[in-house]
This record gives sequence, structure tokens and C-alpha cells, in this order.
Amino acid sequence: MEFQRILVPVVGSEADVEALKLAIRLAKKEKGKIWSVYVVAIKRALPLDAEIRPEIDEAESILDHMEILAEEEDYEVETDILQAREVGPAIIDEAAERKVDLILLGVKYKRRFGQFSLGSVAPYVLKNSPCPVILYQH
Amino acid sequence: MQTSRQPKPGDRFFRPRRIKQFRLRRVLGIPAVFSAGYGNVGSSIYYALGIVALVAMGATPVALGIAGILFIFTALTYAEGTAALPEAGGSASFARHGFNDLFGFIAGWALMLSYIVTIAISAFTIPPYLGYFWEPFKDSAVIGTVASMGIVVFLMALNVVGIKETSFVNIGAAVLDIATQVSLVIIGFILLFNPTLIISRIVNNWPAPENLIIGIALAAIAYTGIETMSQMAEETKRPEQNVPRALVMMIVAVLVIFAGISLVSLSAMTPQELASDWSRDPVAGIAANLPLALLQDVLKPLIAILAGTILLIATNAGLIGISRLAFSLGKHRLVPPALSRIHPRFKTPYISIILFSVIAVLIIIPGFFEADVFKNMGALYAVGSLLAFMFAHASIISLRIRRPGMPRPFKLGWNIKIKKRELPVSAILGICALGIIWIIILITQPYSRWVGLGWMVAGIIVYYFYRKRENLPLTHTPENQEKQ
Repeated sequence: MEFQRILVPVVGSEADVEALKLAIRLAKKEKGKIWSVYVVAIKRALPLDAEIRPEIDEAESILDHMEILAEEEDYEVETDILQAREVGPAIIDEAAERKVDLILLGVKYKRRFGQFSLGSVAPYVLKNSPCPVILYQH
Repeated sequence: MQTSRQPKPGDRFFRPRRIKQFRLRRVLGIPAVFSAGYGNVGSSIYYALGIVALVAMGATPVALGIAGILFIFTALTYAEGTAALPEAGGSASFARHGFNDLFGFIAGWALMLSYIVTIAISAFTIPPYLGYFWEPFKDSAVIGTVASMGIVVFLMALNVVGIKETSFVNIGAAVLDIATQVSLVIIGFILLFNPTLIISRIVNNWPAPENLIIGIALAAIAYTGIETMSQMAEETKRPEQNVPRALVMMIVAVLVIFAGISLVSLSAMTPQELASDWSRDPVAGIAANLPLALLQDVLKPLIAILAGTILLIATNAGLIGISRLAFSLGKHRLVPPALSRIHPRFKTPYISIILFSVIAVLIIIPGFFEADVFKNMGALYAVGSLLAFMFAHASIISLRIRRPGMPRPFKLGWNIKIKKRELPVSAILGICALGIIWIIILITQPYSRWVGLGWMVAGIIVYYFYRKRENLPLTHTPENQEKQ
């Protein structure tokens, strides 16, 4: 399979770093393009364009880190911040608009009520994605 | 893998700083905007019918019908305004553009009053519906009032912490609302509808003209969703096209269902029963008066649960709506920044949420000892909402005069030409009719007069001192001083 347009949503975890490295390896073969996005979820009691400074700053620093990481791998990644009510639909909408061939999502090993849990974003992305999805668990 | 995905309420994104400018991505379509709006309007029938019946008695369907015509005028005005200015703020935003910051503040402050009273009324009508399961909720003023206050405090706490409300809630509430109301209208028409009986009940219980006018004003409470839809313009795909269409769809749905339910209610019970035993839970009254015991057994608990749930969602929607409105006014520096302050941990506008919840609780307090508290709440709502609606009409007219060439993707027809300016007849009629009703409410309803005007005066004083402290003129904000 060829992956020329890859979307890597990030949240600042170690899994994101590995997911981005994998995305670069896949994209390099086809000289593809990579987008990395951070989604700031805005509570419904606020307008969607409310600027929550600490969140934006955190997103900026995480995406800066992703750009540096890509440079170290001798590749370029385009980064962006999205504000949305829900993270999952924002990722899917971004994938649809960018017409990506692949969503590469890093997931952390999490336990909830003693059971392994993927959370809510990964299952939503798997269910609604317009393209193939790779989950990279760290 | 999914080939197509339906957008849902809330699915709109924008990009801050990183690309140096905001890029709005609007993904809400007509169904999503309609369901969010109807979710709000549809909940109001659970109490509007009773409030109107308290004063309009037999003329309740007539009052709702006349208010419905005014509702059409207002919805059309909002359609033109929202299509031309697709941003959060509703009538406050129209007034800011149509006049100046001061008028924008007054419209926004009036809107806040109507939001707060909506929260209070929705919470106040939940216990009577739940009275099916435990009678003191309906029969005891103390227990009912304490429960209502508890609901507001509970929702306040939830919203300060920030509950994760999915878009499914909005769509689910609208679908439940429409399904319940349509079923009730159909069942009611089959089992209860009797034109002769309805006409005799209307004629024999016709109110005094003054009460009919107050009834029309109170009936405005049934049409709260216009503002909600306008507030959602910011999150809508092609708002200039979709919001007007969603508004027109809502006009049709609301008028048909409200006409049906009001006629069924007068077939099911006398205006006296509607205005006394069932004033706070009129839809439960319809279910309780169905002729078949089996249907009663099924519908009574069903209505109790559905109405309780929908009203709870409506109370919460009011709290969310007012927080967003306060934040939006804060962005344009119309209210003090404290109202826009975000909790460092929960990321919610906690001061707004707590302040407005406390005011809603204060409005409910008279429920302990005052008999006509429900009517007073309705009239107080009318004072705020009618003022906001009048500003909406006036702003649209003002924009037609001051900025005749601005793009208007949806332009009202039926215009009169004065000095080469086209003025919409519906907006002129709307502002005149609402103005008369508003003045009559202020004259005849002392509670609404003093509380409503007190609220407005307090707001203007706060606005004056805030703008003075910030060294801002009262009427406009220099562009470089708007909050980014």
C-alpha cells in the first residue's frame, strides 16, 4: 500500500513520538506529506473560538517538539492546532479535508476500571475514518 | 471504514495562531441546527401552555397563535441578521453592528435575563412532572421549590467541572421531543378532539383584553429557540443559507405542533383545570385526561420521564447558552472580564456559571410562599426576551438604513421604500407589536416591571463603570482594543 498523505494526531505522549517516526518512515518511501494536529477540546459552556491560553501554549510546545523531531529525521511535517467540541470528529474532518491516505494514531496503554481501555477517540476514529488507520501502541 | 459521515452539533473547528489567522471550518448542516433549535423550543411547550393558560384562559390557543405570527416575523428578522452576520451573540451582535456597543450591551443584557429566567422556569417545572412518581414534588410548594433549586445547583456544579456532553444529547432530545409531541397530538386528535367542545370552552372562558395581551406576551416563552439557532450560526456550514432554512423549518414545525397541543389540551381539560391543577405540567394533564385507562397507564409515566429529562437538558442548555453569551460579550468588552474568566483546572467559565445559577435560584425562591410565582416568572421572561427581539428588529432596520449595500444572503421581502432605503414591513410590524406588548407588561405586571427594569438599570450601571475604568468610550470599542 502507498501512503502519500498521512495524518498524525498528537496529544503529547511518548506514543506520538513513535507514531510520527513510523509515519516518516512510511512517507519517505513515496515522498509523501505528513500533517500533525493537536485538537483542543472546548467545553460547551464556552464559544468555540474561546482562546484558552494554557491549552494553546501546551499545544504549541508539543507541535514544536514534533517539528524538531521531524527535522532530526530529515523530513518535514506540517503542524496545526484545531479547536473543536470533540476530538474524534475533529480528526475525522481533518482527514477528510486533507484527503489523507492514512491516519496514524499513537495510543498509550491505559487501564480503566482494571480493564485495558482505548479511550473514546481511537474507537471513534476507527469507526468513522474515511481512510485506513494504524494504531501505534506504546 | 466509513465512506460518508454525518456532521453533528458541535462539529466545527477553527485554527488559532499557528496559521496566523483563524480558519473556520463549519460542518453543521440544516438537520443539526434544526435539532439544536428545536431541542430548545420543543422543551418550552412543557410549561408554556400552562403559563399562558394562567392569564389567557380559554383564549390560550388564540394567544399562542397570535404569538406565533409575531414569532414568524421575529424568526425572519433573525434569518436576515444571522445570514448577514454569522457570529455568536444573536440580537446582541445585531445591535452592536446595527447601532453601537451600548445598544449591543443592552440587547445582550436583556437576553441574559431571558436566559436566566428560562433556567429558572425549566427547573421549576421539572418537579411537578416528576410528581407522578412522588406526589409531594407536585403538591408541596416547599419540596417542589427545594427540588428546583437543587436541580439548578446540581447543574451548576456539573458545568463548573465541565461534563462531557456529546452531540448525541442534542439530537436525541430533539427526536424524543418531536416523537412525544407528535404522538400526543395524534392520540389526542383521535381520542379527544371535539370542535364543538373546544369552541364552547374558548368562548365561555374568553379573557379580558388586557389578559389576552399578557397571554400573547407570555406565549413568547414558547418560542425561545430562535436565539439558540442564531447563536449556532458560528458553527454552521454555509450559515447564510443553512440558518435561514433551519429557521423556516422550525417555524413550520413549531406552529403545527403548538397549535395541535394547545387544541388537544383544551379538549382534554377545561381552561380552569389547565390554569390550576396542571399549570406547571400541562402535558401531563393531557395524558391524565385520556379516555383509555391503558393509554393513561403507559403515557403518564412516559411523559413524566420524558418531560423531566427534556426539561433538565433545557435547563442545562440555558446555563451553557448564557455562559457562552457572557463570554461573547466579554470578548467585545461589553461586560467585565471576570465573566469570561476560565477555571485553570476545569477550563470552564466558572464565575459566569456560578453567578447566573445563583440568580436563577434567587428567582425560584418566591416559589416557597407566593402563589403566582409561575406567572411572574413568565412575565419576567417576556420583559427580557421581547426587549432582545425588539433590538433584533430595530438593528435589522438600522442596518438597512446605514449599510444598504452590505451582503444579505437572505433578504426579507415585502419592503417599503423611504429615501431610497428598503425597510422590511415584517420587522416594522414586529417591533411595533412587540413594543406595545412590552409596555403593557411593564404597566400591568409590577413584579416584572421592578425586577426586569432593576436588572436592566443595574446592568447599565455596571457597563458604565466598567467602560470608564477601562478608558473605553461607551458607544464603541477601538478595534485594537478588542480581546483576541
